[in-house]
Amino acid sequence: MIKINNVSKIYEMKEGNNPFKRKKIEKLAVSQLNMQIEKGKIVGLLGVNGAGKTTTIKMISTLLEPTSGNITIDGEDVVKNRMEIKKRVNMITGGERMIYWRLTGRENLMYFGKLYGIEKSVLESRINKLVSLVGLEKSIDIPVERYSKGMKQRLQIARGMINDPDYLMLDEPTLGLDAPIAKEIRTYIRSLAEKEGKGVLLTSHYIPEVEELCDYIYVVHEGQLLFEGTSKTLSSQVFDTKKYVFETSALKDEKLKAFYDFAQSLQANIQIDEEDGLQRIVLESRLDCHEALMNYIHKNRFLIHNFRVDEADLESSIIELSRRLA
Amino acid sequence: MFWKSMQATFVRNFTSQIRAYPMSFFIGNLLTALYSVLSAWFMYQLLFKGQLNPSFQDLAGTSDYISYVIIGSAVYALSVRTCLNVSRSLITELREGTLESLMLTPFSRYGYFAGNMLQQTVTSLAEVCLAFLICIPFGFQAGAFSLGGFLIALGASLYAFFGMSMVLGAVMLYTRDTYISQNTLFVFMYLVSGVLFPSGYLPNALATVTRLIPLGPALDVVRASVFGIESQSSFISTITFLLVIGTLYTGVGFISMKHIENIALEKIFG
Repeated sequence: MIKINNVSKIYEMKEGNNPFKRKKIEKLAVSQLNMQIEKGKIVGLLGVNGAGKTTTIKMISTLLEPTSGNITIDGEDVVKNRMEIKKRVNMITGGERMIYWRLTGRENLMYFGKLYGIEKSVLESRINKLVSLVGLEKSIDIPVERYSKGMKQRLQIARGMINDPDYLMLDEPTLGLDAPIAKEIRTYIRSLAEKEGKGVLLTSHYIPEVEELCDYIYVVHEGQLLFEGTSKTLSSQVFDTKKYVFETSALKDEKLKAFYDFAQSLQANIQIDEEDGLQRIVLESRLDCHEALMNYIHKNRFLIHNFRVDEADLESSIIELSRRLA
Repeated sequence: MFWKSMQATFVRNFTSQIRAYPMSFFIGNLLTALYSVLSAWFMYQLLFKGQLNPSFQDLAGTSDYISYVIIGSAVYALSVRTCLNVSRSLITELREGTLESLMLTPFSRYGYFAGNMLQQTVTSLAEVCLAFLICIPFGFQAGAFSLGGFLIALGASLYAFFGMSMVLGAVMLYTRDTYISQNTLFVFMYLVSGVLFPSGYLPNALATVTRLIPLGPALDVVRASVFGIESQSSFISTITFLLVIGTLYTGVGFISMKHIENIALEKIFG
């Protein structure tokens, strides 16, 4: 398990245009962060740009050292046992960097595999497996500079898997990929966690991807942890009302007035739109009105055409959260 | 891990170089060697009229100025090619966006730099040999060439160049500059390390400082192995000096490089 205990990261930077009079400034990128990533689980790390997501991923991947606090992977400190930890984690970022453009895809994978000290026979069979996974069979032996953006990203994913890591940090892993390939990659990420028991930390601006894949979510803002839990608990914390939406034959006069009274008794707001002889009714309340509403509809013999309960999805929760913090 | 990192880096660099050989850079180096020898030849033939001050023989250990300059230019080209490419290996990774993927792996630093050095040595030796062949018609004479002495001198020189390139690499990575740092050093080396004239002509203080740059002692031992080793003990002490200074530079370079790598990775964000 990866445990992040009270981790903070401060960057020291220099500011000013005069090279002889540059002012040293400190930027707090991550503040007192606590997180856990279990093997076999996919954990999402969400936040707007500059929230500290990439810094967190880089600290776990041994690229950066925390300024304070500690990170342990299966009980081993990432700073003290850096070389050992490197064999067990890897990081995949979105974009076209982190690979050598003058080498072919296979040469890239061979190079990185050798830097991990992997035996040639193991490496060759692993490369073949990864190449087929990311769909680069036809182009694996041509130089990367001739690859499209999506092909480079797929090679990046193969590079990130080359050491068969126990924990994988994915920073926008499907950025720039075509929808079918992105879907395949998501399926593979899911199988990595479920079948191979790998722990995955995922950041993505494509929220449906996070919603689809993540068992647990951390939301950070300006380096601080804002929320942790499942996407459902996030939605219920951000949006404290539920919407009941149904269509019925037009309610008139006394029946309509009685419905307004009923809604008031549930402390609900209602909105009614009428079209083609049907009324679309939206009843919004902090209370759980489901049973009471069903009983009311049944008792008053409403002819219902459609009924659904709108619960906020992760994307609207994140948008709402960002709006509140802005 | 050392051997795997070294072999992998050697193959990677070689493959990249074959695929995109820097022909203009090669021609530039070839021309530098050629111009040095050509200008020395014109000076010697037209200005000095083939006459040299007797002190030249005392300080240079030979009266053959053209051969002196040809060896000076060849060894200088070798030192520049190896130092330049090894020292900028990490900053090149930073610029090409591969530093992070490299640093994610548990690679051996020694193996990585040794692989870079080995590949550069092979390529540079081939280039320098070619430059040397072009310069031979200007009047090169080997004198009393000692193959064993030459190989020892070459090995010790390359080791010292490797150490210097580690320190230079750390400076480049920290300042994120290759142009000013490398060109300042290389021009200084060219002027004071005995490429065109013995450093004994320089003021004492400057001559002492130049001994700290491996090119000067490297030229002494390579020239001695070509023109004839007059003093065995002097040859051995210079070889020892090159090995010591190479080890010292390698140590300082590696320690500072490790620290500067962390700074460089943080600067990617900052």
